[in-house]
Amino acid sequence: MTIVAANPAVRRRARISLPFTLVFGGVIIGLSTIVAFFPSLFAPYDPAAMDYNALLQAPTVAHPFGTDSFGRDVLTRVIHAYTVDMQIALFATLFPFVFGTIVGALVGYAGGWANALFGRVVDAIITFPFLVLVIAIVAVLGPGLVNMYVAVSVVGWVFYARLVATEVQVQKRLDYADSGRAMGYRPLRIIFRHLLPNAITPALVYWMTDMALAILLGSSLGYLGLGAQPPTAEWGVQIADGKNFMNTAWWISVFPGIAIVITGLGFSLVGDGLAELLRTKK
Amino acid sequence: MNAALSQTLIAAEEVSKEFLIPQGMWRRLTGQPRLAVHALNGVSFQINRGETLGIVGESGCGKSTLARCLVRLFDCDDGRVRFEGQDIADLKGADRRAFNRRVQMIFQDPYSSLNPRMRVREILGEALSVHKMRPRAQIPARIAELLDLVRLPSDAADKFPHEFSGGQRQRIGIARALAVEPDVLVADELVSALDVSVQAQVVNLLLQLQEKLHLTVVFVAHDLRLVRHISHRVAVMYLGKIVEIGPTEGLFSSPRHPYTKALLDAAPELDPTKRNRTVAARGELPSPINLPTGCLFNTRCPRAFDRCFVERPLLSDRTPAHRAACHLTDFGAPSLQNLEAIS
Repeated sequence: MTIVAANPAVRRRARISLPFTLVFGGVIIGLSTIVAFFPSLFAPYDPAAMDYNALLQAPTVAHPFGTDSFGRDVLTRVIHAYTVDMQIALFATLFPFVFGTIVGALVGYAGGWANALFGRVVDAIITFPFLVLVIAIVAVLGPGLVNMYVAVSVVGWVFYARLVATEVQVQKRLDYADSGRAMGYRPLRIIFRHLLPNAITPALVYWMTDMALAILLGSSLGYLGLGAQPPTAEWGVQIADGKNFMNTAWWISVFPGIAIVITGLGFSLVGDGLAELLRTKK
Repeated sequence: MNAALSQTLIAAEEVSKEFLIPQGMWRRLTGQPRLAVHALNGVSFQINRGETLGIVGESGCGKSTLARCLVRLFDCDDGRVRFEGQDIADLKGADRRAFNRRVQMIFQDPYSSLNPRMRVREILGEALSVHKMRPRAQIPARIAELLDLVRLPSDAADKFPHEFSGGQRQRIGIARALAVEPDVLVADELVSALDVSVQAQVVNLLLQLQEKLHLTVVFVAHDLRLVRHISHRVAVMYLGKIVEIGPTEGLFSSPRHPYTKALLDAAPELDPTKRNRTVAARGELPSPINLPTGCLFNTRCPRAFDRCFVERPLLSDRTPAHRAACHLTDFGAPSLQNLEAIS
């Protein structure tokens, strides 16, 4: 017998040694989520409260991030924006991820004309620059967060579908897929239970990156007035608010910008860490 | 004869399979004929209940394609495979699943044949529960039984495939196939990816299991010694056709087809006094896209004569137990050694 007795100590250590990037990114995203759910616990003021005695005030102890042109506390608004922006990160990507993954898995497995048709749909959608297409759809549907989610979903699923389809096409040619067929398993079982777990990693990693991109996109659309609407605290809206005061009150735009960068970094780190964690062992 | 016929479990009848080569738009528009790899060109044989049929041949001769046709991973283009007299291409729904359960395949590559994200327990449990082999409560016990059957420790159940060696992974593959209690095992190059020291273990395990479970085995391999060790009967394939089929000892001691003889001569011999340096087959396997006319072996046969370039020889019916497809041995069926003695 040549069974290598697996040392339990080694196995246990292997199980808890998560990639550093995953832990670090996870902490950022975890804290961001907590802030998003309970912004009032962290914010010193009311996000809509205007203080006409403190307009465009530079950072002080009372207002660590300064105040904007209405005298609203920038720190408070950055904190309250977490609620909206984390929501954007999730809702603008969840449907594309789920739907794109399912379509990609089915199309990749079916191959043939289904794949050819899918290829043309992808071509048609990616011919347009992403932002331009989203703006066009929002322009038709009207501005606002929900319409923005719809617009992003209509376009975004193809990227996931393409990633998954490519990977499923590789996986379905491996012997374990044939073994499932020889066992008489139904195609849906083979696709979703056998192939997908081996094919989803790139899509999962892309999802994390995409959440970061969604925040940027949400901010861009907010900036253009097509996403979250002005009284709402949203990082893009805040940056747009501050653009007229860049020379005199840089803090209105810079702090929301930093929040975007940190959150985006968190998602990217989680993506990197997941890629490492889920890499198939050979 | 009738008793022998009723024992036939699987019968291949003129099975042919070709794979079209993808071609560009230009070739298609200009109406050029589509090229195809002729993987199987009319393969016929029967497998009796409880016997082991060895299928040998060089790489590219269609062995694996044949194995996949037998378990219906491929549908054949022409001809049919019968299982208990029934054409397997006609099986649908529950019948098809029953066929899948009864005819199992073990794959060549121990690394790609197990899902890397499923624990051994899940791999075996899935086969058991999909085919409802045991009530849910008894599945863990059955998994332990199966692991014991292929001599893996019971703690193997909670591990992932990458935690095992190649030989152990092949045993997991065998356990998965046996989980559904099949009648037939089609083993496609079961041990060719393993170290020689492990090959014997796995092959002997297969032999013991066959005896214990009364399995019918189709053993596809390119290693002649292995096939000789394990098979009751052997079929020799060349360019998608069976050139000789017969009982193992008869085929190895008195081959009737020049290709079989070439294969046997090419096998390494440890005893230097037994080595022979005559070249039995020249050159390479011809392209399966453009098959030679006449006998498929005529490009390499040292003894080919005019008739071989015109007429494709059929498996001789004169000697039903040990048949060869060769014009030389067709009449009166003397073995090749005798022929050589005469000439």
